[in-house]
Order: sequence, then C-alpha cells, then structure tokens
Amino acid sequence: MSVTLALPSKGRLKEQAVEHLGRAGLTVVEPEDVRRYRATLAGRDDVEVVFLSASEIARELGAGAVDLGVTGEDLLRETIADSEARTEVAAPLGFGRADVVVAVPDVWLDVDTMADLDDVAADFRARHGRRLRIATKYWRLTQRFFTAQHGIQVYRIVESLGATEGAPAAGSADVIVDITTTGSTLRANHLKVLSDGVILRSQACLVASRKQRPERDAATIAELAAALGAARGA
Amino acid sequence: MTTLPSFAPDIIALFSERDAPLTEVAVIQPADPFLDMAGEALRRRIFLTESETGDALCLRPEFTIPVCLDHIAKRASTPRRYSYLGEVFRQRREGANEFFQAGIEDLGEADTAAADARSVADAAALIARVLPGRAVEVVVGDQSVFEAVLAALGLPRGWQKRLARAFGSAGALEAALADLAHPPRNGVLPEPAATLVMAGEPEPLAAHIAERMAEAGISPLAGRSPLDIARRLIEKSDLRSVRLSDEALAALKDFLAIRVPLAQAAAALEDFAAKSQLSLAAALARFAARAERIAGHGLDAEGVQYDAAFGRPLDYYTGLVFEISLPGSDSPLAGGGRYDRLLTLLGAGKPIPGVGFSVWLDRLGEALEAGR
Repeated sequence: MSVTLALPSKGRLKEQAVEHLGRAGLTVVEPEDVRRYRATLAGRDDVEVVFLSASEIARELGAGAVDLGVTGEDLLRETIADSEARTEVAAPLGFGRADVVVAVPDVWLDVDTMADLDDVAADFRARHGRRLRIATKYWRLTQRFFTAQHGIQVYRIVESLGATEGAPAAGSADVIVDITTTGSTLRANHLKVLSDGVILRSQACLVASRKQRPERDAATIAELAAALGAARGA
Repeated sequence: MTTLPSFAPDIIALFSERDAPLTEVAVIQPADPFLDMAGEALRRRIFLTESETGDALCLRPEFTIPVCLDHIAKRASTPRRYSYLGEVFRQRREGANEFFQAGIEDLGEADTAAADARSVADAAALIARVLPGRAVEVVVGDQSVFEAVLAALGLPRGWQKRLARAFGSAGALEAALADLAHPPRNGVLPEPAATLVMAGEPEPLAAHIAERMAEAGISPLAGRSPLDIARRLIEKSDLRSVRLSDEALAALKDFLAIRVPLAQAAAALEDFAAKSQLSLAAALARFAARAERIAGHGLDAEGVQYDAAFGRPLDYYTGLVFEISLPGSDSPLAGGGRYDRLLTLLGAGKPIPGVGFSVWLDRLGEALEAGR
C-alpha cells in the first residue's frame, strides 16, 4: 500500500514545495535521470512522489488519480467542477499567495463595487451593441462570482491564455478577472481592483482527493497533512 | 436516443386547430445568441462545440431564440404564430440530457392583452389535451407592474433599473434593497475629477476622462466612452447622500407580498395603490384588461394565481410571465412570458412584440404515466 503525492514539476512553486517538505522532515529524493518524473521521500516507502504541472495536479486530484497534491487553491477551484465534493484541503501551506480579483480600467471613476459593475453591464448592450466582455482564464470562478454571488447575468467571457491585464488596452475585453500578488502589474496597466472584487485569496495547499482507501493510506495522509501543516509555522 | 412522445400527434393537432403552424428549427445552432441573451451561466448547461472555422456552435437548448432569429432572417410579416415540437439538449446533473419541448411563439400581435391571454390559454389547452381533467395551477406575474410601482415611487432612474433587473430573484432583490437603504461608501475621487464632479457639468469631466484614457491606452470608442463615465459619475455623486426611504421600502414589501387569485388581483392592486398613494392607473388598466381576457378563455379563475413577486431576472422579459404546474409540484409543466425586447436584442430592425410558452414534454409524460 502506498499513497501518491503530486508535486509541481517546475518553477518557484516546485522549489517552495520541496523546501516546505524539508521543513517537515521529509526529503524528496529526485531520480538521477532528470527526464523521469517519479521520485520518493527518503525513508518512506509508503509515499510515491510524481511531478506534474500545477493545473494537472488539480485535475488528477479531481479525478482521484492521485491521493495527495500540492497546488494552488485557485487552480483547484477553477479546474474541478465540484471541488468541495471531490477534494479536501488537508493543509494550507502559506506560500504561493495570490488573489483572484475583478479589475476594471482605473479611468472608470464611477465604478468602485460589483454593484456598479452590474449597472454598467446591464446598460452595455443598449449603449454599445454588445455585452460587457471579461477577459480571464478563470471561467468557473468568474461565473460563480458574477452570476451566483452577485446576480450579474449579462456579460461575456473572453478566454485569455496570457497577459490578461493587457486585454482592456488591447480592446479585446472591458474588464478582467486575474491573479495578482502585489497589484503592481494591474497598476502598471491602469487597472484597479473593485472594493468587493476579491473572488478568492489563494495560496498553495496540500490537497487530498476524497475516495475510499485502505485505513493505512488514510493514516499516511493524515500524518503528512499534520506534518506539512505544522511546518507552516516553523 | 429519445423517442417521440406518444401524445405528440395530439399536440400537433392542437397547434393546427389554434392556427399556429409547425415550424422547423435546426438542431445545431450558433451559440452566441444564447450566451448573449441568457448570459455566461448557460455555457456549462449547453452542449458546445466549434466549427472548423472556429465559430461556437451548440445543440439547441431551447426554441424561442432560434424561432425569433429565423423570423428576423426571413423578414416574415407580422402578426405571426409559430409552433414547434422537438428535442432540446441541456447538460443536467439530474434527468436526461435530451428531452422534448413543445410551444408557441406569437410575434408582432399589437393587441398585447389578447396575445398574452391566448398564450396562457394555449399552454393550458396543450396540457389539458394530454392530461384531460387533471387539476393544474397557473401562476402569473408581471414585470411591468413592478416597474410601474418603482416609477410611481419616484425612485431615481438608476435605482429603478437596478431593482427591475433583480425582479424575480428574491435574494438579488433583497440585496439591492439593502444596498439602497444603506449605500456602501464610495471611494475618494482624485483631483481634478472630484472638483469637476462637484461642478456637475459632464463635458469638462469627460474631457479629463478622455485624457486619462489616452494615457492608459484605452480606446474611447471600443467600449465605455468618456461621456458615459462622466454622466454616470455625476449621477452617482448626486445620489451619494440619498437613501431609500422607509415609506418606499414598506410599499415595495407590501407590493411584493401580494398573492391572490387573478380574478381579485386588479382590485388588490387598486387597494395597494390607494393605500400607498401611488398612481399606477396606466399599468393597472393594462393588467385588468389582460386579466379579463384570460378569464374570457374559460380558465378556472380560482386556479389562476397572481404573484406580484414572480418574474424572471433576464433583461428581455418585459411583462407577463407565467407557469403551469401540477398542484404541489415544484417543476412546472409549462413556462411562458412576454419578451418585447428580445427581437430587438437579436437584431430586428424595428421593435416586434412577442409572447410565448414552452411545455416540458418529459414532465408531461411522467404526469401521464403517474395518472394511469
């Protein structure tokens, strides 16, 4: 019996995840052949480590194909349709912090809140012959926030695969939903976050998929969650 | 694979008796009109695909929009009635993903009271044809009466629009009312915008906004214009110390609580108007004329209820809305309403009024089985 732990395969997120495991006394032993994507934890034959991209980790957790994973909460909520039912945040890890926010051109001096944006969206078609356009890669989070939480029905989502913050100036969208850490990229692009426009305060989390598993594996997961959760304060 | 319900020929016969010729609607439809009209929330509930050239296509999720688009494309004369019977395709967590609907769209009839009443009567007749003798409950609502109440209360234009948008969603309406009773604090404006707003002239403010747009690289022609922003900013600033009064809030709550048999609804609305000292004469005259027409179709007057809070929070519904259900059931057999803004939104050159309904034949079939 063993559990599978998926870790981010590259970048800052990978480094921070490995460091965090280290603080919890868990050493990731990477394969000697760097082209291989499987690793182990030193002294733990009950855990198998795989390296995947952060969004793949979210998807595989949703499908129950891996037991545990380190990924951003934003990706978890965006990638999986019913993330609460399929997965469980076992421990927030305190790094990879970023907010998913609604930002509008700062020259929209009359728009401070989602209620203002609702007004603007409602009139948009009559005034401009098309619906208000929102550029984002967060379809699911945007829809839930606009429609379910704020009752805004009429807008269109324009898929953005990068440089979302440039969409209003490029004319491909009117407003954006994007991730921000310090807000400096938004400011540089003359955008402002609405006062009630924070959709999600995200950070990297240890996430477990919800499924039937042997007691020993469940115990291993609980142990890892406790260790990684405690290492956060260390 | 879904087979045609056994009672389909009866419905088609009824359409013919009621002068609503059957129309053909393609199964594969451009997706944009549905997403534009119903909003992005629909995206997860329809079957989307892409054409080879990148256009978004979907399996038809309903009939009203395609029927109206066909009508506009053919430049057909009005008034005209279209009936349909066919499958619709929706992603549902529960229930089948493809099921039959049938209904009638009535376009361009200038006598709206007559057209509204006929739509309710057609829907009730369709259900009675399949479920003869079964008791049903009809609930009607009216967006235009609510809008008349908002106007008669003398609420600012922006507030009226905001509340009208929330009509039909109890949660959204409550949130909007709470917001207007206790408006959130606005952000502090930078200079020179603050001074320009105080002066209250849109043009100089718009000129300043245009300069800032140029700095930000945002085209003043692509979306919101400097004048749009300036006007709304001044309007908002004029309202910053205005609160929804207790009287207005009480009147709105009284209104929304009205639920009476349709035969008594006109009188109940008169009483409400007198008590709240609101002049709703024009809206009430239209309402009473329609109620009379509905009664004229021989629908059981006690079985038709008027619910003042019943509406659909979609911006193309303008007047009557109705649902027909079996007593005690919360999934209606039929839903309908007046959508006078829809054809304009879909690109019709001149305004074309419309009213229509759709019947869930899967639910009708289940009710038929259950009654056997």
